[in-house]
Amino acid sequence: MHRYLKKTAAVMLSVIMVVALAGVAGCAPSTSTSGGTSSTASGPVKGGMLSFYIGEPEAIDPFNAQESEGVQVTQSLFDSLTAVNPTTGKVIPAAADSWSSDASATVWTFKLHPGAKFADGEPVTAADFVYAWNRIAESASKDATNPSQISYHLSPVVGYDEANSKGTPMSGVKAIDDTTLQVTLQYPFADWPYVCSHPALAPVPQKLVENGVPYNGKTVPFDQMPVGNGPFKMSAPWVHNQYIKVVRNDDYYGTKAHLDGVDFKIFADLDTAYREFEAGSLDFTQIPSGQVAAAKQKYGVAADGYTVDPGHGVLLGPEAAIYYLSFDMKKAPLDNLNVRKAISLAINRDAINQAVFEGTRKAAGSYVPPGIPGYEDNQFQFSHYDIAAAKQALVDAGYPGGKGLPTLELAYNSGAGHAQVMALVQSDLKAIGVNTKTYTLQGAQYWPYLTTTKFQVARDGWIADYPIIDNFTNPIFNSTADNNHSHYSNPQVDAMILKARSTTDEAARIALYQQIQKMVGDDAPVAPIVYYAHNRVGANRVNNLFYDNMGLAHFDIAWLTGGGK
Amino acid sequence: MFQYIGKRLLQFVPVFLGVTLFLFILTRVIPGDPVAMLSGQRVQDPQILAQMRHAYHLDLPVWQQFILYLKDIAQGNFGTSIATGRSVKDIFLEKYPYTLQLAFAAIIIEIIVGIGAGVISAVKQYSFWDVTVTLSTSLLVSLPVFWLGMMMQLFFGIWLKNWTNGQFYLPISGAWSPGAPFPPMAYLIMPAITLASVSTAYAARIQRSQLLEVRGTDYIRTARAKGLSEGSVLWRHAMKNALIPVVTFIALDLGAMMAGAILTETVFNWPGIGYQIYLSIEQRDWPVVIGTTIIVTMVYMVINLIVDISYAFLDPRIRYGGSEGR
Repeated sequence: MHRYLKKTAAVMLSVIMVVALAGVAGCAPSTSTSGGTSSTASGPVKGGMLSFYIGEPEAIDPFNAQESEGVQVTQSLFDSLTAVNPTTGKVIPAAADSWSSDASATVWTFKLHPGAKFADGEPVTAADFVYAWNRIAESASKDATNPSQISYHLSPVVGYDEANSKGTPMSGVKAIDDTTLQVTLQYPFADWPYVCSHPALAPVPQKLVENGVPYNGKTVPFDQMPVGNGPFKMSAPWVHNQYIKVVRNDDYYGTKAHLDGVDFKIFADLDTAYREFEAGSLDFTQIPSGQVAAAKQKYGVAADGYTVDPGHGVLLGPEAAIYYLSFDMKKAPLDNLNVRKAISLAINRDAINQAVFEGTRKAAGSYVPPGIPGYEDNQFQFSHYDIAAAKQALVDAGYPGGKGLPTLELAYNSGAGHAQVMALVQSDLKAIGVNTKTYTLQGAQYWPYLTTTKFQVARDGWIADYPIIDNFTNPIFNSTADNNHSHYSNPQVDAMILKARSTTDEAARIALYQQIQKMVGDDAPVAPIVYYAHNRVGANRVNNLFYDNMGLAHFDIAWLTGGGK
Repeated sequence: MFQYIGKRLLQFVPVFLGVTLFLFILTRVIPGDPVAMLSGQRVQDPQILAQMRHAYHLDLPVWQQFILYLKDIAQGNFGTSIATGRSVKDIFLEKYPYTLQLAFAAIIIEIIVGIGAGVISAVKQYSFWDVTVTLSTSLLVSLPVFWLGMMMQLFFGIWLKNWTNGQFYLPISGAWSPGAPFPPMAYLIMPAITLASVSTAYAARIQRSQLLEVRGTDYIRTARAKGLSEGSVLWRHAMKNALIPVVTFIALDLGAMMAGAILTETVFNWPGIGYQIYLSIEQRDWPVVIGTTIIVTMVYMVINLIVDISYAFLDPRIRYGGSEGR
């Protein structure tokens, strides 16, 4: 017995030794992953895989394309009806060549690009859009375990509510013929073509959605290997927490990409990703907090804040997102405009930007961030630092020097440096005599908490769905809006929003929205703090990788020095 | 023996029920609604949320949910992830092989380095080697795991690469996949060392003290008096008795590692079950948390049982019930 055991142990040990040795051998990689340094003087070079950092997405199927990680992949696989030119902010053709609306901007007709195909070779028709949109709108009543979280994009469409509750197809979406899609809205919405640029509203091939996608003799669920009509296609199913690989789609109807593909590398930890970047095995990543200055020195800064080119790797351009405080205007003392005004004027936004965000963000004087057509800074007249005016506002409110004002609750969600921001806000308010106590919740509880009427002052944020000023107006400040945490209600603003939405002339429409923003700013339902900004960096071999203010990378125009060799 | 194993297997049932119930209560006590979390900070249509809660039985009392869950498990159905809509079984089967790989690699290091260092330390008591082992074990025990991992990444992944002009270095993170630039084993080296570090130090210390204790006993003195060589005394007589506590420690450690290692997996971006459980707790994705934890608990219990049975082989004085013997 024991002798036998000893023998087994000896054999096992030797096996272990061999295995261990085999592991240590061959630690030099078989292929070099570092890019070439020779730059070609002429234009873009074809070839190479760009490796791109993302966190594990929740979904990459348009059905649930909502968070930044997944949308990054979705937009490389799919083309929606329209796209947005990131430099001009204008809506441009994508799967649709042209579109028009009736005079009231409620009935929209899109003409699809003829001859466009899905990556499996099937033609893209108007019926595919009808199917894709209904798939999203009806999902809640079809399978309650997995409804689409992004069906609200379609809420303006006639028949959306019935689709949502009863599972009937939306009567407002019709395929007139193979290349004509007609959409009827419940109300005028002149910015509708912008909504149609969202990756969630891309067409999907019904057969593959319902029967799965054939791959290596197996069938893979569509949401693990979506097949789309975009510039890239998946080369293998999604490998969770590891990678998603897409390769150039040579049957793409538009301009074909220079890159052979994109290797989305999925990381659990930002710092690990950054070390991979420093080691040269990642082409694009996020800069961990505290490393921005060092990264700037090492990799150079992109002049426009959005385009990675050799020697100009660090991107710090403003994003279409705003970091702000919401006041619950329903209850005293925050129902008093002067109190809200005092708080807003007391906050030293520049100091917060320097102390917490390494100076990468921008103090917000408006609610609408830079890069959104119609953006103007300082539209919110109380959104700047002025201690004297803040103290005066407290006097006007009847609380001179903060006397008589109860301690206010300052709520925020844990993580992402919010604690540091709120500590600075607290001391700023203390300086004018306003006492606050903080209340922290995890994200899981925080957002539901804001929809109750328990909070007083709360950290809030809004990231654009579409880069239009309406998206920073209607979902937040319309008195019936779901995300109106402040319970702000101004009938004049509501009427103006309706008017702006039905104004088809773009310049006139934007002018109306700018007026609305001013009106809202005068009521101070929120106190803008900073505009979000990129904190990304690209490697030296990456050329012309445009990472826009919506946080989407334009892989179709990027290229690698020497084709990645 | 078989009676004993049968008895032990029967004990799994109450433990399984207890763990499941405990997890159920725990997940309902922790605040945060998994369904509301899905839409992030955007307010979702309350009707859709209500439908979803109903579909996941979240609108029923906890005891009813518990019974329904047991029914499902009896049919081999571990439920669906609320966050992603994928089946918990799929998620588990996808992640668990990675956890096993990492656990076994770490255990191999623990066995070779831990026992080896302990033996050297004991045999050469108070020598330079002994002092080195004692000091380095103290150091390893007190180092935070993520820091050690990070330092190794910097050294072997970045600096070494720069010094050798990209000729010799290790991958910083991730697991092997087709087309990867390194052989599969290369991806395991750093995470396995990191995961094994603390336990290896403990194993070395236990081995050292056990061996020193055994070497002072009468039967070892007898063996030496018989004129056996020092090597033969050590390997044939002393080691076997000294190994029992170390084997116990290492085996239980293997069980613990098979439950996943959150820190190591996060730092090395290793796609194992530990990080998955952490992520699912963050998302309040209860079906995934409960399902994977139950399976991991069962694995741990099986390993425990194997350890107990192996005692009988290691030490003839240990007998487990039944009508064995003459």
